[in-house]
Amino acid sequence: MTPMMRSYLKYPFGVAAVLLSTLAQAELAHLDDEVLSGVSGQGGIYLSGDVTINEMGGPIQNSYFGACDEPGKKCGARLAYRLKQDGGWFVLDDIRGSFAFEGLTLRVRHIDSGFGGDGALFNRDVVELGLPNVVRYQDVQFKLAASSTARPTDPGFQQTDLLSIEMQGDVTLEGNLLVFPTGNP
Amino acid sequence: MGVIVNGRYLRTFVLPLWGGICVVPQALAELQSLEDSVMSGISGQTGITLEIGLNATIDQLSYFDDGNGIHLEDFRIASASNPGSGAFHRVAIDIGADASLNLDYLVEDRRIEFGDVRLAGAPGVSMGGMFFDHTLEGFFRLSSGGSLSGAGYTFDTAYTMTGGRLGYRTNGNEVFLDDVTLSVEALGVTMDAIPGGLLFTAPSITGSYNVGAIRYSSNPLNHGNSVDVTTGTDLPSYGSLSGDFDLSGETSIGGGGRSGEGIHIDSQTTINSANFMYVDDGNAFALKGITGNYRFDDLRIDVTTDWQGREALGLTLGALEGGFNVERIELGAAGKSLGSVNMNFLFEDQVVNGVGYTNAIYLQGGGHADAGEQGLRLAAQWSLVPSDFSYTEDGNRVIFSGLQSWGQGDLTVNVTREELISGTEFFDGLRIGFEGIKGGYRINGLRVGDEDAPLQGGTELLLALGFYPAYEFELDGHITLGAGGATGDGITVNSDVVITNGNAALIANPYDEGAGEIVQTGLWVSDLNYDAHLRNMTIDITPDGFAIIKGEAWSTMDIGNLRVGDKADGESFGRFVIQSYETGSTMTITPGGAGAVCAGGTGGDSAACTASGGLWEDRGDEGVTIAMTQILARAVSDTKRNAITWEANRTLDGAGNPLNDTGMKLVLNDIYTSDGGDFDGDGVEDNTFGIQSNISVDVFQTRVVKRDDGADSLGVVGARGDERIMDPTAAEGYRYVSSPTVADIQNRPLGFAVQARAQFRELSINNIDLVHPVGGSQTAIYGVKMQNFDINANLTATPMP
Repeated sequence: MTPMMRSYLKYPFGVAAVLLSTLAQAELAHLDDEVLSGVSGQGGIYLSGDVTINEMGGPIQNSYFGACDEPGKKCGARLAYRLKQDGGWFVLDDIRGSFAFEGLTLRVRHIDSGFGGDGALFNRDVVELGLPNVVRYQDVQFKLAASSTARPTDPGFQQTDLLSIEMQGDVTLEGNLLVFPTGNP
Repeated sequence: MGVIVNGRYLRTFVLPLWGGICVVPQALAELQSLEDSVMSGISGQTGITLEIGLNATIDQLSYFDDGNGIHLEDFRIASASNPGSGAFHRVAIDIGADASLNLDYLVEDRRIEFGDVRLAGAPGVSMGGMFFDHTLEGFFRLSSGGSLSGAGYTFDTAYTMTGGRLGYRTNGNEVFLDDVTLSVEALGVTMDAIPGGLLFTAPSITGSYNVGAIRYSSNPLNHGNSVDVTTGTDLPSYGSLSGDFDLSGETSIGGGGRSGEGIHIDSQTTINSANFMYVDDGNAFALKGITGNYRFDDLRIDVTTDWQGREALGLTLGALEGGFNVERIELGAAGKSLGSVNMNFLFEDQVVNGVGYTNAIYLQGGGHADAGEQGLRLAAQWSLVPSDFSYTEDGNRVIFSGLQSWGQGDLTVNVTREELISGTEFFDGLRIGFEGIKGGYRINGLRVGDEDAPLQGGTELLLALGFYPAYEFELDGHITLGAGGATGDGITVNSDVVITNGNAALIANPYDEGAGEIVQTGLWVSDLNYDAHLRNMTIDITPDGFAIIKGEAWSTMDIGNLRVGDKADGESFGRFVIQSYETGSTMTITPGGAGAVCAGGTGGDSAACTASGGLWEDRGDEGVTIAMTQILARAVSDTKRNAITWEANRTLDGAGNPLNDTGMKLVLNDIYTSDGGDFDGDGVEDNTFGIQSNISVDVFQTRVVKRDDGADSLGVVGARGDERIMDPTAAEGYRYVSSPTVADIQNRPLGFAVQARAQFRELSINNIDLVHPVGGSQTAIYGVKMQNFDINANLTATPMP
């Protein structure tokens, strides 16, 4: 077992260790389909599609939220959380956009070979998330903010927008995400 | 074999039953000695005409098999509308020129009933009573010559039954089919003596039926009344039924049970055509174009004991094999189709997990122990060896291959009313109870196109419809089906169900890859205990489809281990506890999928969609769309709340099994939806919008590309980015193509195409806690609030080869 593989197996947080093969190419070699033919268990699904968040707006119509063509209104989604009782709120605001992918796979398989010899030592079942080669982002955006209230319509609402993020274009995601338990369940 | 009527032994004869509709010589069974006054009613024009006002009672009618008895008690034939009077019978008897016996009969307003059924060896409990009201008019012809020899007989019969009622009654409550009309024609039915019994052959049995209502009564004063005799109002109805059929087949009946005396039946039936319709307030759920066949081999009927030694009427089966096809499943006012289904099945003995299973039903008295003396208990075993079920919509077929099921346990049946007896809560309706049922099912994989296609994964796609690809369980509880929906006819469901020691697959690999059974691996919800309750959930058929309204629903799903690999000893991610509490959630199921879709783009037509970079797809008229509104209510108790708990790092016992509540927990507590304020001014935040989801599912072709250069898992070679094209002439049923032609695109693989939309105004988590087994709870996040979400998705899910 290589040192890096060993380090994964003794991962202190225990419950779920994640192996991203593209990030560990020295030990977790890229498996082509031929290598996978030696893997038992041929179940699983292949997913493609696109997901859009608040393309035209959301279901709330009030003084803060509205349709995307309404001036002065926000049409994106909003997520707020706070880490202190009676404290302020961290906010992801005006979340919008879409992304598309082709060839996301999901299955359970047993690894007992490959990976430069580490597979035989590994010898366990994993949940494999086969990453799509390309994820296309289109007009993905959100704002990080700090707010005095969870709802923007609550009395005394004040919000400080910290930064805005926009994503456009293709992101290459190759390899497989392997998820397996370690430690006491 | 014999029967005893009021202590006198009589010889019996048995008639063939094809679905219970060919009970031919109805009048023969009622022939009585004629008094002189009755004889005066006989006229002699073309034979003899008998007119009888029949009012007969038999205290007890008994059947004995190897010394074990079953008794029909309080057997009675009389007028249905005036129980103190006789039922009018007129039978015209004629002998034809070909020496045939011809009977033309009219029976008016007759009730045949028995008050109870008891097994001699099971004192103190009984199965309940049945009644059958009808007016009957028809003919019966008996002539010589069977299908095998001239020594047999031929029967021709046709009759029409009107004003029928068929009811089941326990402890003063009853459920009955009301206003039944049935027309049957069975010509050329033959009977021949064969070694060991009689052979009945029916070349054609055709007919139609209509059930005006399926009614429920909790008033003991009602007995076969359509209206409540106390209030004068119509009794509530589950809806109505209608249909027609064209059958043929043969049945042999002989003596000899599974042991000693008894009855032995072999039968095969062909459904040449049939249609079935359930109607709720004018809106229909219809199975149209039903064809198929089935064959019983070695069905035995004995008065015997079940596997626990309890006295029972046992029906044990050698095998049941057959296949059904339903051409159209229509739903709603417009008659739109969900698609078609097909099933090929074989029930026969098998061994699963080292346990032998067979197919048997042992009928016993009693029902639920607290429901009263009368009720029905069916100690049952079932054993379905790997069979196939397929779904086709718009010509695209997906086969769920290797469906296997097994189990045993008790089903109880009672007609109950709302009351609390000995701590058990009962509800109005037909109560189906589950007691100690241990069973399971699993699916081997998918085949796309036809039965010879390669086995693929993808059974986890069933999760979208609420089915696990594999499931083993121990089941207790009940489902009570009440009459009446949200409006008018329909069904009201109250249910309390407990599943223990369950193992359910979220992702399942095949259990047989072609070289014999192997351990089925996957991602398993293991050591599952599930406690689910429903109150006043209504099911109606509306012009759009099925409409389901949950009154109040709460459940706790305690997943002892989420395992990867083997369900019993695969490594575990820990324990997950998912609690759910919903009030007023709704679901509608409508026929038709997504229709025309712009996948990956926008636009209302092909040109606009293509211009936006999308792919225009017409997914046809069939398919299914499910619309849900989930109202997640605020927590009102430890059991009625929405929460998710993940526990890990538990202490292990001596056997290496984790002990619950000894590890660290992450708790998402009190998850609820809201409209975002108190807009109606009642002092409570409104919660009517919930999480609204629309999911349209079609079986449709989809683009699948190769992820790597070289050979794939089945040895088919292609380059990264090549498309998979189905090709029956290719060795593995497909090939890879770098630049698919128009013809190739027509042969893209089939998968499930899902168009989904989810919206909510507010979804909140009250607090997220970390809980130490000794140190106690510590709040990590003091509230999460998500607002104004509208998520659309176009997804295609294709099985992996």
